[in-house]
Amino acid sequence: MLAHFFESFGFSTVLVGFVKEHIQAIKPPRALWLDFPMGRPLGIPNNPEYQKKIIRTAFEIFNETSGPILKDFPDVIPVKNGRMGYALPVELVIDQNEIGDIDTLVEEVKVEMENLKLDYDKAVNFRGRTTVGASEVLMNDYVNFISSFVKGEIPQSTRKGIGPVPLLKLVVEDLQAYYTETITFRDKIDDFEKIGTWFWEETKAGRLILCLEAVSLKSENRVLRQIVDMSLITPRFWSEGPLPGTSGSSW
Amino acid sequence: MVLIPDMPAVGRGFISRLEKYTFDNLSWTQPKETKSRRVSIVSTAAISKRGDKPFSWLANNHRVIDKNNLDLVMTHVAVEYDRTAWQQDLNTILPIDRLEEMAREGEIGSVSNEHYSFIGSSDPMKMERSAKEVAERMKMDAVDTVFLVPV
Repeated sequence: MLAHFFESFGFSTVLVGFVKEHIQAIKPPRALWLDFPMGRPLGIPNNPEYQKKIIRTAFEIFNETSGPILKDFPDVIPVKNGRMGYALPVELVIDQNEIGDIDTLVEEVKVEMENLKLDYDKAVNFRGRTTVGASEVLMNDYVNFISSFVKGEIPQSTRKGIGPVPLLKLVVEDLQAYYTETITFRDKIDDFEKIGTWFWEETKAGRLILCLEAVSLKSENRVLRQIVDMSLITPRFWSEGPLPGTSGSSW
Repeated sequence: MVLIPDMPAVGRGFISRLEKYTFDNLSWTQPKETKSRRVSIVSTAAISKRGDKPFSWLANNHRVIDKNNLDLVMTHVAVEYDRTAWQQDLNTILPIDRLEEMAREGEIGSVSNEHYSFIGSSDPMKMERSAKEVAERMKMDAVDTVFLVPV
């Protein structure tokens, strides 16, 4: 859609995209379909030649004299069972009465974070950047902030103009990014299925967020219930379903 | 090959139901010569400078990314796509370094001073006003070519 706008404003445009049927329906002037998992339109991290191959293939479409034109990028980055991203196993749902002692879990997550800190710092130093910090909550406060919701409280937002629940979502993503930035550097892996399995199924931080999901699904706070019901906290979008709680009725 | 029917049930259902707008009059702007193109990137990854206001979940507005400040964060509402690639390398979603290299190698003319970000979960039909604002900034920067990169 944005392609149509910019083309009508006098710019020549080309887009890359993942959902072929949508590109075929919307008919942007020039498009390159990528048979890739979502989230990596330039394909492979830290591979400049491969990234430029994608750009060059897209820009070759500028040589066409009329459109709309949709071309297929010849390479495929394979995915598992049509999943365009990691999906939690459908059976991995924590019930509220299975949460146990939340204070013990909180301490375990803090220890886990501390154990990753050296490699996280190395990763940041090596890359010269971090994506952690969108929430602007202090890293040392992530776990306590999340655990407040698990205990049924709605803490005050520490960020002006952003409510506690939207801030919670950003804190959850910051916590996850802290872990995944570290593991991709430390273990030299670039496989979202493996990374997702590790974070969500093996770490204490993943369990804390699954506990948050369990509590939120029964929360009286409508916004909190809704974001969990829409799988905006836990990655269940690529699930075969059924989803936990209200079965994803918000979708 | 992953097409919508190949996707698992939850994602397949959601993506199938998304509105697919069509246009009666398709615009076509003739591209400039390859070596004189000035290229800007428009991302729908909801990335922005650290400290910018996060994207709201249905935002129709945009954020400006200055090529000299690439300390970026992501505030996209969706969690269904892989974020680990951009965590490792910004160029997987915003290929500024690659375009700069191509400009130095003479494959394109130049790269814009600014790039732009929207949130892909929002209704694109409501982004036209913001897209016009972006277009004005691009014209001030002599941009003629837009590379659209979703996540």
